Amino acid sequence: MAKLSLMFENKLVKEVPIGSRPVTIGRSPDNDLPVDNLAVSNYHARVYFEAGRLVVEDLDSLNGTFVNDLRVERATLHDGDSIWVGKHHIKVDATADAAIPWDTGRKTAAPKINETMVLDTKVRREMIQQAAAMGERAQFSAGRMKVATLVILSGNIDTKEFTLTNKLTVIGKSPMATVRLKGWFKPKMAAQINQRDDGYYLGTGDKVPRVNGTPITGTVRLNDGDLIEICGVRMNFIFRE
Amino acid sequence: MQIVSSGLSDVGRVRTNNEDSFRIVEALNLFILSDGMGGEAHGEVASAMAVDVINKYCESEKEDSGATVLDEVPANISSRTRRLKNAVAQANFQIFQSAQKNPEQRGMGATITTLWLKDTLLSIAHVGDSRAYLLRNGNLQQLTNDHSLVAEQVRRGLITPQQAEESEMQSVLLRALGAHPEVEIDVDEVEIIPRDALLLCSDGLTRMVTEPEIAGALQAEMVPSAAAERLIALANENGGIDNVTVIVVRFEDDANKGWFSWMRRGSAKKD
Repeated sequence: MAKLSLMFENKLVKEVPIGSRPVTIGRSPDNDLPVDNLAVSNYHARVYFEAGRLVVEDLDSLNGTFVNDLRVERATLHDGDSIWVGKHHIKVDATADAAIPWDTGRKTAAPKINETMVLDTKVRREMIQQAAAMGERAQFSAGRMKVATLVILSGNIDTKEFTLTNKLTVIGKSPMATVRLKGWFKPKMAAQINQRDDGYYLGTGDKVPRVNGTPITGTVRLNDGDLIEICGVRMNFIFRE
Repeated sequence: MQIVSSGLSDVGRVRTNNEDSFRIVEALNLFILSDGMGGEAHGEVASAMAVDVINKYCESEKEDSGATVLDEVPANISSRTRRLKNAVAQANFQIFQSAQKNPEQRGMGATITTLWLKDTLLSIAHVGDSRAYLLRNGNLQQLTNDHSLVAEQVRRGLITPQQAEESEMQSVLLRALGAHPEVEIDVDEVEIIPRDALLLCSDGLTRMVTEPEIAGALQAEMVPSAAAERLIALANENGGIDNVTVIVVRFEDDANKGWFSWMRRGSAKKD
């Protein structure tokens, strides 16, 4: 199992496995890896699996997150890397059975298929099970699809929570909008969220939404915990199991 | 709202027969696209049957109660969408039955992507790996989930979209019409606003042409027939390994009518 070991000088402080949830690092005691040092921000960084890779993401920390010697905002981690926050470092152990690239098993197992074919129910179940088993080894929440949710933090909206089940979620005054804005000058279609195979993407409408304080350009992929601001409404994008 | 649409199908550069079928029913604002499978010309039979059954079902006068759909339907969808879903269920059953009766048709099947517009509400029903896209504000958004093995693996986080594109398993579908007497059908609804464009396409397009290229072609060619021609040309330039079929639909504000027809006149003059 992939794990992270928090080290101070050469002493082990804490060790955590990396599961389907992101591992959070920061000064606040509710982090998975709390680091008691003033140089470390309250919520400093997080580590998680994304599409088979282990990723570290800096959460706009004051003093930065470093992988080996390089300051990063977001970086793919490899076995043996060290993440530095303040004077502490976190060793990355991705040896045992971290994300297994799908093609290792696939090349020999699957003949090339040119003609379109449908899997019958039995074969399909087997293939999905095989894939799910792989996912479990890779510490994914395989089998359980995560449900994206918008939680309204503030703004003139009656419903406090929206589950994003449709392919296209519209935020605006339109009666068809999932997240329905109220008020005279609110646009019919302020912004929209498109569910793709690999995640949820926020796109502009008649307004340009802000994600974590920055106005977006084109479409951006939403990450768990992102703050979206549009037309005076603030909301959190989160995944629920 | 003004609706302009155009569809086009091409055999591609490699195959000798075209197993895709499509139909635009202007009177109903109904758009149907199907990609058939199953050797020796039976793919065509299946996709043509799918298109025909859905067209007839939607055309028939009677408003049905939705009783023929056995599985649960989300409560918030309109009766129109439910009817479209029933039409797809009917198409599935007829292809399945035909394959049972005629041994030479064993194993035939088809994908289906169908859109039906009433006022501004677009009903979507879909099975397989043909796709529907919405181009809005320059953003191309896929309205359907592919029911293919690789797409399912991406959704479960097992492979990346890049790995899916390179996978040898791209042709493996998890659902199609005609394989079983019943099939799970995805339905959805989207509100259409003026200046939106819709694209329905078979996988012969999406495997050959990237999404940014598709978005570019739709934005460059305002006239649907020209956009359709351009998309097919792109697929063939990039290899054309499969049949390519596209339907392009554009929605224009009535207030823009003068401006739009002026622009079309302008482009016609150039020719």
